[in-house]
Amino acid sequence: MTPLLTVSLVLAGGLFAGFIGALTGLGGGLVIVPLLTLVLHLPVQQAVGVSLLGVIATSVGAAPRFVGTGLSNVRLALVLQVAASSGALLGALAAHSIKSQVLFMVFGAVMLYSAVMSLRPGHHDSRGAPESSPLAERLRLGSHYREGHIWVDYKVAGVVPAFGVMLGAGLLSAMLGIGSGVFKVLAMDRLMRLPFKVSTATSNFMIGITAATSAGYYLSRGDVPPLVAGPVVLGVLAGAYLGGHAVHHLPARLLRRVFAVVLMGVALEMLYKGFVP
Amino acid sequence: MNEKLEAQRRAVTRWILRASIGLAVLFLLVGLELFLFRGGVYFPTAPAGAIHVILRDVVHGMLSLRPSAFLDAGLLVLLFTPLARLLSGVVANARARDWLYAFIGIVVVALVSVGLFAGQAGV
Repeated sequence: MTPLLTVSLVLAGGLFAGFIGALTGLGGGLVIVPLLTLVLHLPVQQAVGVSLLGVIATSVGAAPRFVGTGLSNVRLALVLQVAASSGALLGALAAHSIKSQVLFMVFGAVMLYSAVMSLRPGHHDSRGAPESSPLAERLRLGSHYREGHIWVDYKVAGVVPAFGVMLGAGLLSAMLGIGSGVFKVLAMDRLMRLPFKVSTATSNFMIGITAATSAGYYLSRGDVPPLVAGPVVLGVLAGAYLGGHAVHHLPARLLRRVFAVVLMGVALEMLYKGFVP
Repeated sequence: MNEKLEAQRRAVTRWILRASIGLAVLFLLVGLELFLFRGGVYFPTAPAGAIHVILRDVVHGMLSLRPSAFLDAGLLVLLFTPLARLLSGVVANARARDWLYAFIGIVVVALVSVGLFAGQAGV
């Protein structure tokens, strides 16, 4: 494939990943890694390295709209980030030590899980935990966020189990080049019982730091080819911007379902590549 | 944390985010333009090695208008944005005398930095 064709293809792929990610919440890494490995035949470590830069772009691009709303709980993010970044370092090491086929298999399984979970009806708790756990109290994790003109207080539970899930989320993010927002939001929704908007915004903040932890490793190892990563990042930023504006005009729920089914198909393809290299 | 410090913290965060997105996009667009202008007939190699060596190569490359150096610069700006945000948070927490969260922030900064330096060591 010529360099020009490659640039056009990855730019379009990044645009699609950013757009669909903003509409459906299913992260761009699930689009970018299969595109780079199955279509462009890039080594899986390079695909992951490029995708991690796309993940940082998604996080940084979305971040300004959360500043000042109180939705992103920075104290909570920092505590959980110790686990997520530790997991990310382990994941980056693992991705460079295990066989590529294993990475394809894990990617396929995680992708399948993410797609299935996105089809399930959401359990959105808007009030948060009834009481903060003693540890959350000591760490002052409870906070408040702005809803229109009023500030809503919320409490936090389940810090220790969520810390464990974050370790796993960081590991998967670094191994597979995904944000693993689906696992982070799960831990914050189900275990810590955060209001949904708070868990989404806090997760967005964390995803960028987690990806940066492992992206540095991939970069130093020579796994971030600039002619692929550059257009992917530009595409993701533009796509997320357009998606953010289109979200009120398009049937996001229907798109989410259709996209989840497409992802399941791609997940099977990734699994197949893992078993039959 | 008092209102004034909190407002400063928000302003700095917004500035870091906007400046880095702007700078990253600018470098990436210049890199792609230069690449297309020069015919776009080759695949530039990926940067590798110690982070200070990569940074030095990128600056030299930009001065000689090498397209891939601009692409690398855009990617590096993006890579360092979460780190810059973390560091500004550490400073804000220290100014507010919230030592616990200043310390946790430093731990996270250290973990992100390990990622940058472990790869070059070929671990």
